[in-house]
Amino acid sequence: MKFVIAHLEKHFEKKEVLRDIDFTFESGKIYGLLGRNGAGKTTLFNCLNRDIKADAGSFYLEEDGVRREVRAEDIGYVLSTPTVPEFLTGREFLKFFLDINEKTVKHPRTIDEYFDEMSIVPEDRDKLLKDYSHGMKNKMQMLVNIIAEPALLLLDEPLTSLDVVVAEEMKQLLRSLKKDRITIFSTHLMDLALDLCDEIVLLSGGRLEAVDKSDLDDEAFREKIIAALREDGHE
Amino acid sequence: MNKTLRISFSLKNTYRVNSILYALKQIPLVKKLLPASLYRVRGLKRFANVLSILWEILSMFLWKILYFATMVCGMGALYEKVPQDRVFLHILLLLTVIGAFLNTGMFNPTRDKYYAVILMRMDAREFALVDYGYTILKGIIGFLPCTLFFGLARGVSLPLCLLIPFAAAGMKLTVAAGYLWDYERRGVAYNENRLGKWIWAGAGILLAAAYGLPALGVVIPPAAVAAVFAASLVTGAVSACRIVRFSGYRPMLQRILSQLFSQMDAARGAAKQAAENLISADAAIVSRKKGFEYLNELFVKRHRKILWKSSLRIAAVCLALLFIVLLVLWLEPQAKEATNEIVMTFLPYFVFIMYAINRGTGFTKALFFNCDHSLLTYSFYKQPKMVLKLFSIRLREIMKINLVPAFVIGAGLALLLWASGGTENPLDYAVLIVSILCMSMFFSVHYLTIYYLLQPYNAGTEMKSGTYPLVLSVTYLVCFVIMQLRMEILLFGVLCIAFCVLYCAAACILVYKLAPKTFRLRS
Repeated sequence: MKFVIAHLEKHFEKKEVLRDIDFTFESGKIYGLLGRNGAGKTTLFNCLNRDIKADAGSFYLEEDGVRREVRAEDIGYVLSTPTVPEFLTGREFLKFFLDINEKTVKHPRTIDEYFDEMSIVPEDRDKLLKDYSHGMKNKMQMLVNIIAEPALLLLDEPLTSLDVVVAEEMKQLLRSLKKDRITIFSTHLMDLALDLCDEIVLLSGGRLEAVDKSDLDDEAFREKIIAALREDGHE
Repeated sequence: MNKTLRISFSLKNTYRVNSILYALKQIPLVKKLLPASLYRVRGLKRFANVLSILWEILSMFLWKILYFATMVCGMGALYEKVPQDRVFLHILLLLTVIGAFLNTGMFNPTRDKYYAVILMRMDAREFALVDYGYTILKGIIGFLPCTLFFGLARGVSLPLCLLIPFAAAGMKLTVAAGYLWDYERRGVAYNENRLGKWIWAGAGILLAAAYGLPALGVVIPPAAVAAVFAASLVTGAVSACRIVRFSGYRPMLQRILSQLFSQMDAARGAAKQAAENLISADAAIVSRKKGFEYLNELFVKRHRKILWKSSLRIAAVCLALLFIVLLVLWLEPQAKEATNEIVMTFLPYFVFIMYAINRGTGFTKALFFNCDHSLLTYSFYKQPKMVLKLFSIRLREIMKINLVPAFVIGAGLALLLWASGGTENPLDYAVLIVSILCMSMFFSVHYLTIYYLLQPYNAGTEMKSGTYPLVLSVTYLVCFVIMQLRMEILLFGVLCIAFCVLYCAAACILVYKLAPKTFRLRS
């Protein structure tokens, strides 16, 4: 399966944020999306998630040479600040989600099995989500986004504010999930990108461009990325 | 000194000019005409500058005039037992004392002070003195025409009228010097936006004395008022020297100003926090339903406090009022005729009452802060058929909640009409009940529709739409205007029913056509 973005454009008033995004992502890989502040990473994600309307271009999934439109249920979008409905308990939120997505969840399990998988302890499962810690809210958000096994998983700076233990758990989870789906992970942290991602993609000058690692060692690769980002500058 | 004054004024001005431009950018339609480089455009800036300076001059007098017209003279006119000049001086003296404590001018952390002292590292003492001096001067200039105009009209002598503005400034200076002295002694920096309970209690007592005593026929004798004002001149002059000599302005201002941003953060988080506090933590609340009905039932049950409980309470109050009126009619049969006339022509008034008791705004606000704010970030929640399904469930729910008091009011009015002598046209009874129910339905549909069509908040729970508050204000205004109408039940009722039915149909069609696109988080 491939995820293809073709000539995507977006501008705000006169400022062109996405100029010509043209890129093909392949399933089974985690893509690290790097870009300078204000490069348009979140705008790109919002366009893909159809939170904002792109000005031009298209994106679609391609399976065995057959194109199909990206449906809402194909996308999981995890935001940097976790948002969960405060008036539900963790268990109720999961039950609601499973009810609504009955038809699309391919391999449903019991609610407690899901909690076990995310290492959310039994005494927290029936607490209101407004009383969850930041890390636990993040886990819930991640869980809801992966239960439906979306073909495309977008993560916007998801690990930056987690403690080291939760961050490590999340990394393991993402690695275990990457099979059969496309994971795009935006971050400012170079180390995280190099550690977790199979490919590094730069968003600069409103375009996407892969950085070829070929036979460079880590240090040289790192310098190559920085140099490429530096060229972008601010126009 | 001159330079400091210029910088301090231009800082305040720049801040104000940019606020005006920002506000312009929030107005629907106007914002489309404005360029992105708004803050760079010369002409616009000049326009905003003129507005800003006009505002600076106008505000110098405007608040003072309003203050004198309402708080001092307006309230003063209510007391008939005491001579007007005495009431005037009595209220003015006590309010001036309160003002000296609550509105010092020096201990108010504002953004322009923060920018000048903390960010731009201006000389704190010079800045504080210039800024404070300017505030005091502005106060005197604003006060003078008011004491002359209002004071002389109430028979206060000219010398006293001339003295009062300076005396009021003297009082402010005295209080400020007192706070500075307290800071030197105990190290406590006073912030006039975070008053202690003693000051509030003191202000409360003075306020009660200002408005309570004249009602009993007691006022402070004019000679005493004059003496206090004269004394304030002396203490003010001494205090001014102390204020100028005080050397610890930087540490003191830093301490006050550091509280400014925590204050603002708190205000921003407060709406969200307030909404979260509404959620009931009752563990007995469960639901046996499924899917969106499950979500909705839990939401309504956990927000009982602002939904069912408050609507039932309103219904109970209406019921009690109804019984009281019925009792009065029974005991005093001669009141029947007047009541009958009122009920026959006051239906338009009930538009405003129905507006006031509707739970719609509270419902949509809680919906956003506690539910949609988070769920709208999940794509399953934004699928068109899901949005519409939930809309219809919510509409049903809020209509049910609002219908209880509406039914009590509608049936109550019909009962009153009957009990006060009835009407020639029996259709009036039906029209009364149906039109009140329609009004309630209208407000339920209205609030939910504009919420679904304009969803005004962004992911950070900030209001991003200018149109949404505009629509709310127009709603208020229209209801207020209709309240002034007097019309026969039949005519108004039928018009009202027709309008409500048409509006609701149109609103639902619009939601079904547009909401899947508009019901999003703003970016």
